[in-house]
Amino acid sequence: MISDRPVHILLVEDNADDVFLTRQGFERSGLDVVIHHVENGELCLDFLRKSGAFADVPRPDLVLLDLNMPIMGGREVMAEIVEDESLRQIPVVILTTSDAEADVLEMYKLRCSSYITKPIDFKDFQRIIAEFSTYWFDIVKLPPVHGSGA
Amino acid sequence: MADSEAALDAVTSPDVLRAVIELAPTAMLMSDRHGRIVLVNAETEKLFGYARDELIGASVDRLVPERLRSLHPAHRTGFFVDPTSRPMGAGRDLYALRRDGSEFPVEIGLNPIRTEEDVFVLASIVDISERKRMEARFRATIESAPVAMVMIDRRGHIVLVNAELEKLFGYARNEMLGSPVEVLVPNRSRHAHPNLREGFFAAPEARRMGAGRELMALRKDGSEFPVEIGLNPVVTDEGLFVLGGVVDITERKRLEESQRRLNEELQSRLGELAHSNSALERSNVELQQFAYVASHDLQTPLRGIAGFAQFLERDYRGRLDDTADHYIDRIVASVKRMQTLIGDVLDYSRVDSRARPFEPTDLNEICRDALAILDSSLADSGGEVIVEELPIVRGDRAQLTQLFQNLIGNAIKYHGKAPPKVEVTSEANDGGWVISVRDNGIGIAPKHHERVFEIFRRLHPQDAYPGTGIGLAVCRRIVHRHGGTIWVESEAGAGSVFSFTLPDKARQD
Repeated sequence: MISDRPVHILLVEDNADDVFLTRQGFERSGLDVVIHHVENGELCLDFLRKSGAFADVPRPDLVLLDLNMPIMGGREVMAEIVEDESLRQIPVVILTTSDAEADVLEMYKLRCSSYITKPIDFKDFQRIIAEFSTYWFDIVKLPPVHGSGA
Repeated sequence: MADSEAALDAVTSPDVLRAVIELAPTAMLMSDRHGRIVLVNAETEKLFGYARDELIGASVDRLVPERLRSLHPAHRTGFFVDPTSRPMGAGRDLYALRRDGSEFPVEIGLNPIRTEEDVFVLASIVDISERKRMEARFRATIESAPVAMVMIDRRGHIVLVNAELEKLFGYARNEMLGSPVEVLVPNRSRHAHPNLREGFFAAPEARRMGAGRELMALRKDGSEFPVEIGLNPVVTDEGLFVLGGVVDITERKRLEESQRRLNEELQSRLGELAHSNSALERSNVELQQFAYVASHDLQTPLRGIAGFAQFLERDYRGRLDDTADHYIDRIVASVKRMQTLIGDVLDYSRVDSRARPFEPTDLNEICRDALAILDSSLADSGGEVIVEELPIVRGDRAQLTQLFQNLIGNAIKYHGKAPPKVEVTSEANDGGWVISVRDNGIGIAPKHHERVFEIFRRLHPQDAYPGTGIGLAVCRRIVHRHGGTIWVESEAGAGSVFSFTLPDKARQD
């Protein structure tokens, strides 16, 4: 990590097992990452806008967004984020089981930062998390979290 | 004025009047009240074939056919009782007798001529043979017309019908002649008919009767039938008549009705077709949704199972016994197999859902691409693949590559003791190509030839030949999508030949 501050990731995922596996993935990679979790798109937007119960949460450095969720799915979240001047600088990485071409295409059209299909094998998942972290937290320069709009 | 009066005096002199009568183009004859001929003109001589002096002083009865002669004096007496200008015969057919004994039809106008001594009658005689001939020809034409025809006079009475009309209405001719034409009209519209008829006589022009209305006619037996009627005014010396052509349109109506029903049926069939088409589209959409659900929702719990089993394996290995470790391996292996199966079902469904438009595709390149993918398994088997010259077809590149990959892959995989030897050949057939992949492998018993193309149908245990049994099912789906067929020729132990056809112009999708 370049910064002293730990990286804050907002994980938007409805499946408890997947939440656990993802947390495990980051933990077992030994990264200084704080995973915040909400279980649908509506809560995701509340979190990002610090509304209601989320008044004191930090602005995440990156959102890991599932597509198929109850109440509000990833597509609607993505569509709202790109329309919202105060949110659109946050990188959103789609992390989903779907490898449907239509989903991939649609999400890139909504300007997602990247699209990752979750593998079944945890070893593969572990490898992806490691490479993902290297890329996003070592190579890439992320936008300042206290930048415009917040 | 004095001049013209003088001229009038001059031309009405007896000599001039005599010359006028003499030269008139109509036969003229004057007789006294006893029927004695007192004057004839040149035309009379010509018409009857008598010399003038043979007629003067003779009885006019000489010019009347014998069969009618007896009635003549009475008629003559009748005229002199009330001598006015009028046609002779009032509706009767009149005939005259020539000197040579031949008869001819005539029309005679009678005019009283009063002199100081007495009243004479001047008869103008017109030979109407020609008119009668024309009339006969007209009747014959009407009679032989293939259309039912009826002619009515101004009063609406039937004066002429033909055989077709008799046949159509079931009346004999003499039952109709003289009757009001309304006998042929159904009761419910009969009352309106005279007005319509008079309207036609007021503005006679050839036209269809009852424009836009459904016309019905009434037979003698009381039955009705739909008709179409054409009206034509016929102007004759005897006045205006109307000739109607009557066409029975029962058959046409029936045809129209059956056509209408056919149309309705067609419309409803089209509707059904559109309906089942949209049902098909719906089921296609549902199938794609199913594939999506399979790819997403079925895999999520699998990831949980695999993940937690792997945590167990990693975190508790050594703390459990070997059996437990073995179970964990088995769980992970089963999960991976399940994942493969789900992936295969998706591959199968994607033959349609990820279909690309057809384009000209060189099968030689396709085959090279497939062999590149199979390179390592071919090397491992120590076999060889011989590819003959292949054609260029229209198709989906990715799918055709998959097709070759699966067929050649199988040919390599299912080899016997000898290393695999595979041949890919092509042959033109009518309308397209037959591509064959021949191997020297373990072969397939004929009873399995159909089943090998079924999804998840496997003929061998997993440990002998691993796989899910999706490859040939995908092949068949790809070939079908390209408008071809696929089959296998083989005997157990004697190698297999998988062949498929591709139309030369595979249909666009």
